[in-house]
Amino acid sequence: MIKFSHVNKWYGDYPALVDINAEVARGEVVVVCGPSGSGKSTLIRTVNRLEEIQSGELMFDGQNVHAKMKGAQLNHLRSRIGFVFQSFNLFPHLSVLENVTLSPIRINGVDRGTARDKAMTLLERVGLSSKAGAYPGQLSGGQQQRVAIARALAMEPPAMLFDEPTSALDPEMVGEVLAVMRGLANDGMTMMCVTHEMGFAREVADRVWFMDAGSILEAAKPAEFFSNPSHPRAQRFLSDLRSH
Amino acid sequence: MLTEIYQIVSDNWLLLLIGQYPNGPLGGMAATMLLSLLGIALAFPLGVLIALARLSPFAALRSSATALIYVMRGIPLLMVIFWVYFLVPLLIGRSVPGFVTMLCTLVIYEGAFLSEVVRAGIQALPAGQIDAARALGHSHLSAMRYVILPQALFNVLPSIVSQFVSTIQETTLGYVINVPELTFAASQINNRLLTKPFEVFLILAIIYFCVCWSLTQLANWLERRVAARRAGPQATVSPAARGPSATRLGDVAREVGK
Amino acid sequence: MSSLDLSAILMKPEFRGMLAAGFEMTIIVALSSWLLAMSLAIVLLVIRLTPSRICEGAVAAYVTYHRNVPTLVQLIFWYFGISSLLPSVAQDWLGQHNAEATFAIIGLGLCQAAYFSEDLRSGLRSIPPGQADAARALGHGYISAMRFVLVPQALRNALPALVNHTVSLFKNSSLAMAIGVTELTYAVREVENESFRTFETYLIGTLIYLTCSLSLMALGAWLSRRAKPAGAR
Repeated sequence: MIKFSHVNKWYGDYPALVDINAEVARGEVVVVCGPSGSGKSTLIRTVNRLEEIQSGELMFDGQNVHAKMKGAQLNHLRSRIGFVFQSFNLFPHLSVLENVTLSPIRINGVDRGTARDKAMTLLERVGLSSKAGAYPGQLSGGQQQRVAIARALAMEPPAMLFDEPTSALDPEMVGEVLAVMRGLANDGMTMMCVTHEMGFAREVADRVWFMDAGSILEAAKPAEFFSNPSHPRAQRFLSDLRSH
Repeated sequence: MLTEIYQIVSDNWLLLLIGQYPNGPLGGMAATMLLSLLGIALAFPLGVLIALARLSPFAALRSSATALIYVMRGIPLLMVIFWVYFLVPLLIGRSVPGFVTMLCTLVIYEGAFLSEVVRAGIQALPAGQIDAARALGHSHLSAMRYVILPQALFNVLPSIVSQFVSTIQETTLGYVINVPELTFAASQINNRLLTKPFEVFLILAIIYFCVCWSLTQLANWLERRVAARRAGPQATVSPAARGPSATRLGDVAREVGK
Repeated sequence: MSSLDLSAILMKPEFRGMLAAGFEMTIIVALSSWLLAMSLAIVLLVIRLTPSRICEGAVAAYVTYHRNVPTLVQLIFWYFGISSLLPSVAQDWLGQHNAEATFAIIGLGLCQAAYFSEDLRSGLRSIPPGQADAARALGHGYISAMRFVLVPQALRNALPALVNHTVSLFKNSSLAMAIGVTELTYAVREVENESFRTFETYLIGTLIYLTCSLSLMALGAWLSRRAKPAGAR
């Protein structure tokens, strides 16, 4: 579904991504973890080309994401990739329902009624159908993030990307968002998540990628990774985590 | 002096209000307000377009917009009036009344300043908004139309009202090219009375003060409404709300007896 | 339209002289009113900072008046209105000493003082309260804290607004033309009337104004950069 081949990215002289070779299969859930500054967010943002790459190839569902293409083609590609941000980025001037229906109506040409019904179904799935008329400023962080997930799902993407979805939330709200993500995984969604939530990684991920200094140092099943990491950097990372 | 002021106002209120109309073109306060309202109404869409041009990925658009803005910021309004007075008849082949000259000037001049206001509003939005719009697949224009501009324009509403107040003040320059607006009407009254310049121009100042001040109050009220809407119900009282440094120092000074 | 010929204006000494005299007058008016405005603004700020409600109200009224009455009307009011109230001795003296320019300087200076004092006030208000607390904790008195901690930061914060309003002041010097001051815009009109070369004259006038304004803005940007300590946002 998502395939990185020799992907490299530099910010000037600074190597942000170094020879990334990895693949997320259809229906697979991959968690990307690592210390801060390791390039995890940069990596996930290259998938829908919010960040550019300097060399290598990135394929999404058979399409070369970083090929030279017209703006309209890129927009269409992006609309097929769901993205959830750390800072939610809901549109504050629109109600919850409008946030979810705006893009299906204006980009996919879905008619108002169908879009509305679909939106209500999604809001119910994330547990917020009662807040359809509310505005983002009236919601808690956890509620906003769940709406953001519904907004991304409304475009019916074959894959969802999550960039530290719970890092900006107060601890008591992390659970509600992770529950929604767990539900998506159980339904077979292809997911790539950058997160610090190791419990989620252990229970839900099919594979864990450990990154440091722009490279994927280890890619293993969660059971193996958490009990017996092979790379020394990964071992240090996990022991740092446990020592809190 | 107050009786004299009252006398002047009661004798000339019609002239001040509508100029020589119907025996001449519309003048006085009516002309001033018409000029200002038309000016800002036409300048506003122009301002949005110039702001979008300034932020556009096309270098040609960007540099022309930037050049226009810097020229308007750098030369006096009076020079712009003279240019328009000279160029417009040349461009359309016949002479134009002063009102139209003034209107064109205001539209271009205010358009440039409004574009800066709109641009500031757009750039003040968190970067996440355009990211989210792009991630969903919106094109640049679609993102501007549905996500960025609605928010930016609402947020800069108080500044737009302030610019409207500036526009009203700028209409006074029509006096220099004999546009029959309020200042011109007052000077006509003064030329007729000859011995009461202080009273006449005091009246003029007071009228402008009342109009501009009320609109400024409106702008302040809008500013409070917009800020409340932006903060949302979760806004907590920050340490900065305790009061700015200087007044706190004042408190300290009083407490310690300086 | 005949072809563009800047030399028709620039090479003729009488036109050059008129423009130069106009420019000189613009500089005199702008500079004098700037000095007046700045000094008055500082005085207004100091008055406003005193605990008295009356002082605060008086300065607020001053600022509100000058911001809501158009500058041209203020100049007209000074030159035609207030001058008529002066005793005839003063009027005669002024008549001999360029009354137009004097009132223009007074009018512009008083008007811009309102804007400058608001800029300085905003600059002061934008300092985080922790600064005063820190100064107090270290043992500074009122004057000492103002002098070493608050005023330097206030000036740094207020610099962009002060520069903008300085450019406004410079542009507003052209309004003096309406009360008969023979500054640059007036000179441009005069030269245009005599030479019939509207485009060239206007272009020269525009370029002079642009050069000065852009230089002022560049100076302001340079000062802002210099005033910023390393690493400050």
